[in-house]
Amino acid sequence: MKSNRLLSAAVALCVGLLMSTAALADSIQPLGTGTFAELKSGFEGKPFVVSLWSVDCLPCRVELELLGELKKEDPEFPLLLISTDTIEKREEAVYILEEYGLESIPSWMFADAFIERLRFSIDPTWHGELPRSYFYAADHSFKAHSGILTEEKLREFFPQ
Amino acid sequence: MPTCLMISNRMKWLLSVAITMLLTMLLWSIDATAAESCQSLRERSAGQQVISIHCGGAPSATVDADGRLWAAFVQDKHVYVTRSDDNGGTYTTPVRVNSEPEDTEYNGENRPKILVAEDGTVLLSWTTKTSPNFTGEIRFTRSTDVGKTFEPPRTMNDDGLMTGHRFDSLFLTASGKLYLTWIDKRDLDASAARGETYPGAAIYYTVSDDLGETFTPNFRVSHNSCECCRIAMAPHGDDEVAILWRQIYDEHIRDHAIAVLGEQGDVSGLTRATVDDWFIDACPHHGPTMVQAAQPGQYHISWFSDGNLHSGIHYGRHDMATGTTENIIQVDGTPGAGHPYLARYDNTLYMVWKGFNGMASHLQLMRSQDDGATWSAPQTLFNTEQASDHPLLVTAPHGVFLSWSSEEFGYLFTEISSDEKQ
Repeated sequence: MKSNRLLSAAVALCVGLLMSTAALADSIQPLGTGTFAELKSGFEGKPFVVSLWSVDCLPCRVELELLGELKKEDPEFPLLLISTDTIEKREEAVYILEEYGLESIPSWMFADAFIERLRFSIDPTWHGELPRSYFYAADHSFKAHSGILTEEKLREFFPQ
Repeated sequence: MPTCLMISNRMKWLLSVAITMLLTMLLWSIDATAAESCQSLRERSAGQQVISIHCGGAPSATVDADGRLWAAFVQDKHVYVTRSDDNGGTYTTPVRVNSEPEDTEYNGENRPKILVAEDGTVLLSWTTKTSPNFTGEIRFTRSTDVGKTFEPPRTMNDDGLMTGHRFDSLFLTASGKLYLTWIDKRDLDASAARGETYPGAAIYYTVSDDLGETFTPNFRVSHNSCECCRIAMAPHGDDEVAILWRQIYDEHIRDHAIAVLGEQGDVSGLTRATVDDWFIDACPHHGPTMVQAAQPGQYHISWFSDGNLHSGIHYGRHDMATGTTENIIQVDGTPGAGHPYLARYDNTLYMVWKGFNGMASHLQLMRSQDDGATWSAPQTLFNTEQASDHPLLVTAPHGVFLSWSSEEFGYLFTEISSDEKQ
């Protein structure tokens, strides 16, 4: 009886520890309607690339693989990853990001179920198709791209 | 001290019984409440779980031969069915359909489907995710006791493969043939095993002529469909259906195809329905809508594209005989506008869709009295500054109803055909 209780206490402790580690193991932050503007100001005078993806988007996986390799080669590459899934899908998103070695780079997830407004806060002309990417120049003029990002496309904007 | 403890324990017990009774009464009364937001239901439930159509994910609805509304929704990995005998004023206590929890998909493009046959058999299909890598199974069940109990769900894809089978659509013809169609990745897997490339997925279907007791083997409709858009269905003759889906052309163009499905697996009239030239290797998550036109073999279709030829929501009339879509009209080209849904009732065509102005979503409606040749100016039915589902239309014996779920209003089932003359 006593050992049973001890065992269940130990199991509970282990489960608790596992859960807290899982919650801390990623670098995903919630994206609200004002977040994207803040992110941009963090890159003032600097170029950067935004890649939008979702756990339900197959072509996005191809793009994530490319971005994973890119970050491996060039850890300083200025990349922001935004998942359009709601934050409840965080575990699934982390699982996917880990698959491509992208779990530790700056990452955001849609924090509100009102996705139309969050999309609008990123780009009013975007219809929601994925993957979607943005190339911001140093002066923050930008070009948008719908569909899988290719290495050529990346090189166009960031020639080596 | 021990006596005091005993009394307090007994009091606690009595109190908890009283609270449980109160909550049960409260929950019962909540089920019988008309459309209201899930948030207000939750506030009134004092922290108890609320199973309600106003809280459930991606509801869909149908109206039976007696004019009663039936709706299906997903909550906590279960599909639930509820009924309303007063056009959505009050709802019965939701019945849990699958006793074992399943990772049931529910979103704008992929939700449980519900139909009720003339004899009262309740028919349901949905997609269950089996991994985070786009695999899923097409599930089907039915109730033969007026929705009181449901048979254990069956998997309808017959390949036994751990691959993608998703985005199911269900249709019952007037003659009682039940068609279930979906997006399937078995051919993609087979091509990959041979080291060949295979753009997109495929469309498959199965048919039942005994209201879901038995089904035919799976039949393929087409290779190279888009992977992530709902399939539209409409009747074709007495026993067949026409389906409209997003199809990949020239490996990178995602426009639409239409075909007629027969009950023995015979696919005819497969042709391109839209030429939008949308070059995109991406998931639009944006499926079409279709209803039969007055002229046999003609269909009213509406779809979204951001192609070189058509951008925004468009409407057109497709003729199966000539294989052409004519009378193409841009419905709404503003950014953020999408997810059209068509219905036809009493020679009037109805189209609803969602617009967005940067702050609020607008639920838009327009009508046509001349089979789609001309349309009324769009009318805004609702505005909301909170999240909302895609709008659906349900055609009942007594009118056309909007079926729409939103954070602000809960689930709305509202007639849109009553104020035609306004």
